[in-house]
Amino acid sequence: MAGKELTYAQLLETNSLIQQNADETYWLCATRTVQESKIFPVSAYILFSYLNCFYRYAMLLKKIEEHMSAEEIGDRARNSGIKIVAWTIPCFYLLGREMLINWGVIKPTDAVDDVVYVMDFWKRFQLSWHRNNGNLTNRMANHRGQILPEQRLQVYHADAFECRIGDELHTAAQNFMATIAQYGFLVSCECRVTTHNHGPYKISDTREMLVREFRELAEHDYPWLDGVGQDIPYNNLTVTMMLEGIHITLLDDWGSFESEPEMKPEHIVAVGLYTQDNLTHVPLPVGMGSREELTATFNDLTARIKAATAKLWEQMAGWTRDQQLDAGALVYFAIAKEMAHIAGCYDVNDWMMIDERTERFRPLLNDEYGNLFLGELVGYISTPSQRMHDYYMMQHTDLPRRALSYFPYSMLQDKDYAPTVGPMRPGASNLPAKVDRYRTSQGVLSQEEYNRRSREFVPDPCNEKFRFLCTDWVKYHYDTPLADELFKLEQQHSRLLKGKGAGLTRADIEALRAKG
Amino acid sequence: MAKLMVDSDKYGYQSEFAAVEAYNSMVKDLVRKRFAAAGRPWREFVFGPDEAVLTKADMEAIEAQLLALGYRFTPSAMSSAIERPNAYKDAGLDNPDFSFEHEGAPTAAPDADGRELRGAGDNVVTYEKNLTGIARYVRTSDKVLEYLTKGVPPDTIAIVDDSGGTLTAPVLEGFKGVLCAGGTTRSHLAILTREYGIPCLMNSRLSGIKDGDRVEVEISARAKTGEDYAHGIDASARVWRLTKA
Repeated sequence: MAGKELTYAQLLETNSLIQQNADETYWLCATRTVQESKIFPVSAYILFSYLNCFYRYAMLLKKIEEHMSAEEIGDRARNSGIKIVAWTIPCFYLLGREMLINWGVIKPTDAVDDVVYVMDFWKRFQLSWHRNNGNLTNRMANHRGQILPEQRLQVYHADAFECRIGDELHTAAQNFMATIAQYGFLVSCECRVTTHNHGPYKISDTREMLVREFRELAEHDYPWLDGVGQDIPYNNLTVTMMLEGIHITLLDDWGSFESEPEMKPEHIVAVGLYTQDNLTHVPLPVGMGSREELTATFNDLTARIKAATAKLWEQMAGWTRDQQLDAGALVYFAIAKEMAHIAGCYDVNDWMMIDERTERFRPLLNDEYGNLFLGELVGYISTPSQRMHDYYMMQHTDLPRRALSYFPYSMLQDKDYAPTVGPMRPGASNLPAKVDRYRTSQGVLSQEEYNRRSREFVPDPCNEKFRFLCTDWVKYHYDTPLADELFKLEQQHSRLLKGKGAGLTRADIEALRAKG
Repeated sequence: MAKLMVDSDKYGYQSEFAAVEAYNSMVKDLVRKRFAAAGRPWREFVFGPDEAVLTKADMEAIEAQLLALGYRFTPSAMSSAIERPNAYKDAGLDNPDFSFEHEGAPTAAPDADGRELRGAGDNVVTYEKNLTGIARYVRTSDKVLEYLTKGVPPDTIAIVDDSGGTLTAPVLEGFKGVLCAGGTTRSHLAILTREYGIPCLMNSRLSGIKDGDRVEVEISARAKTGEDYAHGIDASARVWRLTKA
């Protein structure tokens, strides 16, 4: 972007992408309210993170694209899972812009090259990640997130073990999911970015499947998991969960879901467990050899996670406010860091530091101001920059408000704006220095070694031979050797489907499950 | 004095909250002064190579101005008030006689069964029967640490301030039920109680419930959905204090 003349078409698209996020901002935030915690100054750290995103994202995403395009990262993320990046990347960034506009520190026209780039990166990533459903966001699919291809879903469907409320597997799975969800909130300082759900996927007339991703569990990027997470053998775990007797009515861009009727433990009728990261070809089954093995695995992981939860809670409860502010802000800001891992250019100084430009605003962010300003920005949509003329009707509320400021088209003629925030600046953190130890599916690696392996690794389904063999190709070529090869990649670790190839239907999978 | 672009806003004049407006106005005022003093076009000033725009010391001075007027901030995190007691109001977390006294809490005299209406909240999951237990406030990390080391007392229906999942993380599983004074049925605490199968009311408006009171919670009421919130539909479940043994 830099140095190129801004076009009318670019501004039109950028404003449209901004609006895609603006309406959803209100809906997502108003239905959940401002988060508070007695441990963390949540609103204050959220605002702090927004500023860090604004000052750093454009440069960091460009650095990622020097290694890999946003759309290829989307392919990799679809293959190996990723945290919630749908709403977060653009909105954390744009809300930082909104804060600075309201402070008069920038004009709505400033940093336009950066914003055009960030929104374009996000669009290309989202389109790729969502390529199996054709939507930019879950919102556009009426709050549904069908990400995975048939060959992956068939394996998940086939290998999930049946369970019923009260039996050992059901009890173990339910305890595990509650424990890991709680650990996730603690790891991410009261936010939920380490947990992601997608789906629903239709299993039968009475069953739907949710795929639940629990990430950032072990010693990896967060300094506060050094030591605490050392007994957790997987950084990411994926739970496949089949539900009966309910319909998932909503799965939003934060990965939250609602069902009709509301989900209760008895609705869970089958589960599976896997691990995956950017160094795996396909998901690796965890304890999936038998029901008994899976039950024992869930129980073992639950015990490890409970122990880590207690250790982490005691550590966090003793933090200073500045440490809490940094940790929370870094969790939000660094939500995009998985993309740097995928591209093999992760640097702790890029992602685990508060930029010196952000740091200037720390003294403003007391608890009260944090709650009120954040409440205005994402709940009330009432800051001066968000007010519109009286004829305007915002989606959901009909009020004359708009959550995120557009770029005025007049800037195509009036050039008195700064197109970019400029290059990266140094950062700092009040947290202990990160130990150079990263748990991956290929063992515990240093940052340098992890980056090297990431740059060299291409998951089989993403290599040039298979990358573009999408659902629409399979539809017309399922009876070819190449389709068989594609499906067998996914089936290589499957208990029931290994070597079965591309010809099976969902009904065939059900029949195989019935046979055991 | 220099004029900023946002000074000529036809539709937006002030923020909703006075405290936000006060802060934001002081920052804007500083930017006006610095821009005027810089004597450069905006495009050179705004992300300028030096720190002439704003500094951390500037922000500290803004806060000092507010505190000098006698203003004290309402705390959310315990660390805020503990580290800076002169900047934050006392949240009263250590008051053993504490009870929530929310303005919108519905109350009524005891019925024939001795059930005295003392509040309402948003039900997370509908259960077949209502829940009874002992109300216990859980508002500090000291209380959580006590429960972590000694165990959660049986029959505890925890009353908590906020909708987060971190304060009670290591002990939540031991609660029989939760009454949360904040959040919605989509908040983190709601998600966690749903996962654990622990009955919970969010956004609870309570009055006169003391630590140790026996309470009944109407968890048989309809669960409140995201659509209910989006359209302002009330779907409250009631909370009673049980005055008969």
